[in-house]
Amino acid sequence: MGIQRVTCSGCSLLCDDIIVRSDGLYIDEILGACLKGKERFDQVLAKNRITTPLIKKNGELEKVSFNEALKKAVELIKNSSKPLLYGFSTVSCEAQLKGIELAKVINGFIDSNSVICQGRVLNKLKETGITLTTITEIINKADLLILWGANAAESIPRLLNKTLFSRGKFRMTGREIKTLIVIDPVKTASFGVMGVRDVALQIETGKDIDLIRVLKEECCKADSIPDKGVAGIDKDDLKRILLHLTGAENGVIFIGQGLLRPQSGEDVIKELLELVQLINVKQQKGRISIIMLGGHYNMAGFDHVALSSFGRNHSLLFSNNQLVETSETIISKIEKDDFDCSIIVGTDPISHFPSRLSKKLAKKPIILVDNKQSATSYVADIIFPSAITGIECGGLAYRIDHVPIELKKILNPPSNILTDEEILNKIINALREA
Amino acid sequence: MELYKFLPKTNCKKCGKPTCMAFALDLLQGKVKIDDCTPLLESKYKKDYDKLKELLGAEEGKEKELRIDVDTDLCDGCGICVTVCPVNARYCPPTLSGKAPDYPPEKHQLFQVKSGKCELLNLQYCRRIEAEGRERECRVCETYCPRDAVKIDYV
Repeated sequence: MGIQRVTCSGCSLLCDDIIVRSDGLYIDEILGACLKGKERFDQVLAKNRITTPLIKKNGELEKVSFNEALKKAVELIKNSSKPLLYGFSTVSCEAQLKGIELAKVINGFIDSNSVICQGRVLNKLKETGITLTTITEIINKADLLILWGANAAESIPRLLNKTLFSRGKFRMTGREIKTLIVIDPVKTASFGVMGVRDVALQIETGKDIDLIRVLKEECCKADSIPDKGVAGIDKDDLKRILLHLTGAENGVIFIGQGLLRPQSGEDVIKELLELVQLINVKQQKGRISIIMLGGHYNMAGFDHVALSSFGRNHSLLFSNNQLVETSETIISKIEKDDFDCSIIVGTDPISHFPSRLSKKLAKKPIILVDNKQSATSYVADIIFPSAITGIECGGLAYRIDHVPIELKKILNPPSNILTDEEILNKIINALREA
Repeated sequence: MELYKFLPKTNCKKCGKPTCMAFALDLLQGKVKIDDCTPLLESKYKKDYDKLKELLGAEEGKEKELRIDVDTDLCDGCGICVTVCPVNARYCPPTLSGKAPDYPPEKHQLFQVKSGKCELLNLQYCRRIEAEGRERECRVCETYCPRDAVKIDYV
């Protein structure tokens, strides 16, 4: 035990330089982790940790043994014809594989958080293509960073520290040689790290697509920038972005949640990807790449696991233990009430979804596998407590730049608490026996 | 900066400092007195001399100490101050994800992030104390903190 460098599973950046001092029973000291990472490590002894399996009886959650909860869950799944599996973005890839196997066994519909988040970019890139990059390459080579609709300083605190400020092999002076462009309708905390050469653009809400179209047009023919500017950005600023975009040796665009708003439609992402391709074709000396900023630490993992095992990166529907073609997603399934029980793993849809969807979800029985109390745990019928991946058990997780990182086990989980993978495995085995 | 406005700005070096800016900085820290600037005693700078006396008041000549305050309520442990500090950068070992502080902390290291909050280890190697010339006016940690949690002050 003693002092060791571990990978933090607080957010999708998966920082691998966290120093933890531990005696094998408790974590004594955490160095280098941000507030988000510290909360993750604190979860081990947190007040809202679920430590025993729970079953809802007469409207009250009661403590039961694991076998009793398992029996109840198997009974519930056996009686359901259209089960729904959702979550899987805060569990290891091994557990995600088990989740897909469970969906196959029970002929259910499985989806991850990715489908309402960065998975939408992955769907679009099949049409346009994408240039990806890695965090290490950004540290060592990038000279232009664009935060588009992302407040990285608050959502992923260490992202700017690692990418913008760090001194890399070919960027020895760090901050001075890297340019930051922030495009956001709101003046967020990310505007606070601005230097003299940086560009801060406060765009009008929902007008991102106009800006992208103007930039695309300018890439094709010169002098097509409108005199009055576009979307609240004046002509000079437009020229400056273009100069940076076409002149960068190694630029990165961070796509945040702001670009993925459902109101702005799918076109925004598609046109942005096309713009990046256009610049990369036109520009000779460098390239622009894209990084999708997700929140949960293994959101990219589900896309990879599902794609490698079944050829679809989200929304897998099984019938007769075979994958069938479907155009539905978790949202349309809940909206149509096309389910009769749901299995939620490691997420909190009741508070994430709009209230009309969460009300529909809460009406049907819910089986929850999670380690902490949440809005979902209050309405769930059966709760299995799980170990915290990255602290109490190891596993594989995919970082935001789609690089697999191995998570280490630091502590032993509390007695009688199994990992997500083991819980799902026990459910599968019990279903096969029954 | 306020004090610099009222100095002769001729960089005559009569006070022994390379520039009037350096003199202003030392004046603020109480290392020199207004009378050390001999051209200021001439009659044409009389107005500026009076203004400086008024600005400094009783604090003139009192040694002031550098203090860096980290507001732990605002800080979210992003570690930008750790990375951007030139003293940290010189002594920290390179890792795969850029330069990262070591454990136990290197003796020159100014900042470290512990339990999600930034804390100040020691100040004696800060550029504002150690370095010479323009490097002495370093305030990167204050400039780049996205939460405005770091404050440099002389008390």
